[in-house]
Parts: sequence; structure tokens; C-alpha cells
Amino acid sequence: MIKQAILEAVGNLLASRQRSLLALIGIMVGAGAVIAMLTVGAIAREETARQFRAMGTDILLIRADSDQGLGNLPLAETEALPAQIRGLSLIAPFMLGGGQVSAEGQSRSTSFLGVTESFAPVARVRLAQGRFISRHDRFEPFAVVGSALAEQLSTPFNRIRVGSNIRVGRYVFTVIGVLEPSLPSPMMPADVNDALMVSIPNGRRIMSTPQLAWGVARAAPDADPDQVARAIGTALEPSMREGRVQVQSARALLAGLASQMRLFTLLLGAVGAIALVLGGVGVMNIMLVSVQERRREIGVRLAIGATRWNIQSLFLTEAAVLSLAGGAFGVLLGLAGAWGFAQMSGWAFVVSATAIPLGAGVSIATGLFFGFYPAVMASRLDPIVALRTE
Amino acid sequence: MLELTDITKSFRTGPAETIVLNDLTLHVGEREFCSIMGGSGSGKSTLMNIIGLLDRPTRGQYRIAGEDVLAAPPDKQSALRNRLIGFVFQSFFLLPRLNAWRNAALPLMYRGTPEAEARRQACAMLERVGLADRMEHMPAMLSGGQKQRVAIARALVGQPKVLLADEPTGALDPKVAQEIMDLFLEVNRELGVLVLIITHDPHIAAQCPRQLRLGGGRIAQDLRMAA
Ligand SMILES: Nc1ncnc2c1ncn2[C@@H]1O[C@H](COP(=O)(O)OP(=O)(O)O)[C@@H](O)[C@H]1O
Ligand SMILES: [Mg+2]
Repeated sequence: MIKQAILEAVGNLLASRQRSLLALIGIMVGAGAVIAMLTVGAIAREETARQFRAMGTDILLIRADSDQGLGNLPLAETEALPAQIRGLSLIAPFMLGGGQVSAEGQSRSTSFLGVTESFAPVARVRLAQGRFISRHDRFEPFAVVGSALAEQLSTPFNRIRVGSNIRVGRYVFTVIGVLEPSLPSPMMPADVNDALMVSIPNGRRIMSTPQLAWGVARAAPDADPDQVARAIGTALEPSMREGRVQVQSARALLAGLASQMRLFTLLLGAVGAIALVLGGVGVMNIMLVSVQERRREIGVRLAIGATRWNIQSLFLTEAAVLSLAGGAFGVLLGLAGAWGFAQMSGWAFVVSATAIPLGAGVSIATGLFFGFYPAVMASRLDPIVALRTE
Repeated sequence: MLELTDITKSFRTGPAETIVLNDLTLHVGEREFCSIMGGSGSGKSTLMNIIGLLDRPTRGQYRIAGEDVLAAPPDKQSALRNRLIGFVFQSFFLLPRLNAWRNAALPLMYRGTPEAEARRQACAMLERVGLADRMEHMPAMLSGGQKQRVAIARALVGQPKVLLADEPTGALDPKVAQEIMDLFLEVNRELGVLVLIITHDPHIAAQCPRQLRLGGGRIAQDLRMAA
């Protein structure tokens, strides 16, 4: 009986192909939107999680603020902190600026980082060639280049490597190290892949506002990063001539991102829902026309003993078959869209486990919800009136 | 078998009320074969719809085999219609997207008969009405007479007690009409089903053992032929 009902529904839908196709497309677009949204959300979540895994959740970002903007961290006091604060294993204050660099006629604008030796282990950057800035490099014109910047300044005949020269304004730096590519960190104010790193004294020479406003730190594995963050703030406050210190933990940022992501997913879900409602209205419209056209058939069925419920389920089955098919195509469409997004953004494509059942369920529910009214209309037809219609 | 007592049916169209049936009383016994004649608009179809439980009278009593069917709830009426009554219409009303045996099997499907069994019974009934070689044909591929045979098979497949036919030969040419009439006489004789047929054709009516005529909202004439 159920198999028969489904076969009949398919037959009826095929008999009015154009109309069925329209409704199908409506549901398909709706379900596709929902699926694409959820999958893109999952992809973005996965990407952020990956970045945080690479960066470690024990990382802390320190920023000095003053009334005029960025403030200054006291270099010696800051570097002495790991000895004073339990649970703080490493700290690296740094300067951040930016400007034009050139090498062999190639010119780029990039970020400048004025760093100390400890920046490499704290930011977890690894060298592809050469060495990092050391304690002994003060006014020596040495620079370390991020992987993307090195790539951009290279020409086929002249690759940037240890020993290459890079000009920044009046100064010419000799490359002493090139970094391996790393995932951009959501915590850091600049991407080290695309940065030129020099010693702090050299940083003061090449930056227009040479302020030691930033720092990165690592909490010990057994310490609570938020507690360490508060300890850093309290320890630095007295030695700052003016301004304040803000310390943010990866965990706090992660929580902020998660709530942003929820909002984003909600918004996308709403867009999908609107598309589904439009698809549903399409289904309703088409079912109403179908009921109108098949009045005599309904009359015949009632005359030979169909109950109201039989008539209702006849049309509900059609709505369900239509929306199920639309939902199935929609899932494929949505996944294809999300895959395209992943390809374009270079992020890893993942399918959220809930997306497919949710998309299918939601489209069937939409079909049934909007198919319900036409089905009830059909079942309420007066058989005599229905049989009289030619 | 059918006992209609003081049946009144009126339609309200706008301000005016049209009385179509006016205190009509009619009793028809088991296995009877009646024709119903009457002018156009005299209420023949209205009467048949009431007998077939498709419509309710405005007033009056109606019993089938002693049971007060007007008091039954809608779903009970659907079931009674399915079990007791078979309908045949002037323009056949086959479902165009179902083949002959699926059309004929439809009443059984609504009874929940398993498909294989429904198919067996539908095919047996199609054979009985002379369509042994047309089981899988779609309605569009059948002639008018063949369509009406499928419709009769559909009306009879559930072994009803009453067969109602509203101008069943009206759309057929005289030769085919006579063949269909012969089929009605045969199923009445062999299956013992009560047959009521509305007709405009005096030749058809003349072959019926009992001939009714509607007029003035009542049974104006009730003739019984000697067997
Ligand atoms: N649903 C209805 N609403 C209003 N008038 C109706 C309705 N059904 C039938 N009638 C009227 O009842 C009368 C009898 O109709 P009907 O039973 O179809 O006649 P017949 O079948 O004898 O030609 C006609 O005048 C018709 O206009
Ligand atoms: Mg009529």
C-alpha cells in the first residue's frame, strides 16, 4: 500500500513535469542554502580550530595602551617576568610597524617586526634557512624574512636566501634567516609569513612610530593561562610610566570567536530558512493547482470508498516525495557550493555530521507543512461538486 | 434493501430555495433491477447521490438493509460506500494514469487488500466483463465501451450489494449501449446485485423489470414488468 502510494505519487508528479520541476527547484534551493550555510560554518570552525591547535592554547598576547594610542612596554622588566611569575615560561616583547621593502628591483609593502631572540620559540616559527635574530644582534643590519615575503621578493634568477640584501628606506639589511611557512595565527596582530623581522634597535630605526607596544608569551603546560594573563598585567602596571597593559589569552579569544561563529551560523541559517519558506510556498501553490485540476479524480476516489484521510495522504505523499527529491538534490547542491567555497578560500573541506540529516529533514518538514493545507482542501471537497466538474 | 422514506432535498442558490426532491418515498428490494427516467433536471442524479451516500437529504429517513445510514459518521459512510455500493458514471471517470487492472482494483486498495490479492480479484472481474486481454491497457488506449466495462469491473470488484449507474450508456453508440445493458442484466442475474440505472433511452428502460419515473420531486410512476 505504501509502495503503491509512492509509485502513484511519482507517476502523478511526472505527469505534470514542469510544475513539479518548479516546486522541486524551490525546495532544492532552500535545502541547498541551509546545507551550504551549515557546511561553510563547519569549515570555518574547523579552520579556526586548526589555527588554534597549531598556535597552542597556552599563548598570551600583551598590548600596552596609552591615551594617545599604543603604549610602551619596559623592555628589561618585561624580559625579567618569567623569573617572577610562576606558570609563565616565555615572553617576547616586540614592535610592530610596516612600510616598503625592496630587493633586486622587486618592491613590496610589508609588516616590520622588531623582535628579541625569544620571539621564535614563543611564536613557534621555524627556520627554513639560516638563523633567527639573537641577543647579540643589535645595530648589525641583519633581517629574518617570512616565507611569503621571501617568495614575493624573489625572481626566477634571484631567490631571496641567506646573504641576500633587502633595502628598507636608507638601510640595507642582509638576510640571515628565512622562515618556514606557518598557519597565520588568529592571536597575532601581524602574519609572520608576510613580515620582515629585525632586532629591536634596528626596529627603532625603520619604524615611523617605534613603540614596544606588543608582546607574546607562553603559559606553562600546567598553569591556567587566564591566571597567568592577570599576573602579567599586575606585574607590569607599576613600571609603566603611563598607560595600561592588556593581556588576552587564546582561550578568551576562542570563546569570543565561538560566539561570533554562532551568530554567523544563525544568520546563514536564517537565509536558508527564508529560501526554504519560498520553496515551500512554491510547493503549496503547485499542490493547490494540482488539487484544482484533479477535482474529478478526487470525486471518483471518494465515490469508490476513499476516506478523507486517504485523499489527504494522497496529496501529502506527493508533497513528501517532491520535497524529499528536492531535499536530496539540495543537499548535493549545498555540499557542492561549500566545496567550492573551501577550494576558493584554501580551507579544508569538512562535512558537518548534522548537515545532511538536518537538510533532508528540514526539506521534508517544509514540504509536508506547506503540502498540508492543499491536502486538507482536497479532502474537504464535496464529492458531488467534484464529480460535476468537467 | 433500500428504504427511502419522505426524502426531501432542496438547494439554496442565493435567495431562492429549489426543492428538487419532495417527500419522496422509495423501497427497492434485494436483487431488483430498476430504471429511473425523468426529464432533465428532475432530480435523478440528486436521488442517486443520496442513495449512494455521496450526498445527504435535507430531510427524511434512509436505511440500507435496515441500518440507519444517515446517522453514521463520515468515515463509516465511506466504509459503507466502499463495501455496499458500486458507482458507474456516464463518462466512465477512470483514473487516466492507472492501467485497467489498477483502476478496477482501486476500491480494494482502499479496503487495505494486499496488492497481489487485489490484482487477482480485479483481473477476475475484468475477465468477467469481457476484458481478459486488456488488463495492462491504459484508459486512453481503450474504446468507450471498453472503458465502461473497466468502470463496471471497478464498481463490482468489491462485491457490492447495490450497483448505481448514472446514464451509463449515454456516451455510447446504440450497439455498444446494448452490449453494456446486457452486461448489467447478466451481473444482476448471476451476482444477484441490485441495479439502479438512470437512462434517457426508452429501449434501455424497456428491458428493466422495474421502471421508475421521477416527476415533481417524487416517484411519479412505478411499473413492474411481468417476468
Ligand atoms: N449543488 C447544487 N446546487 C444547486 N442546485 C443544484 C445542485 N445540484 C443539483 N442542483 C439542481 O437540482 C436539480 C436537479 O439536478 P439533477 O439531479 O442533476 O437532475 P437530473 O440528473 O435529473 O438531470 C437541477 O435543477 C439542478 O440545477
Ligand atoms: Mg443527471
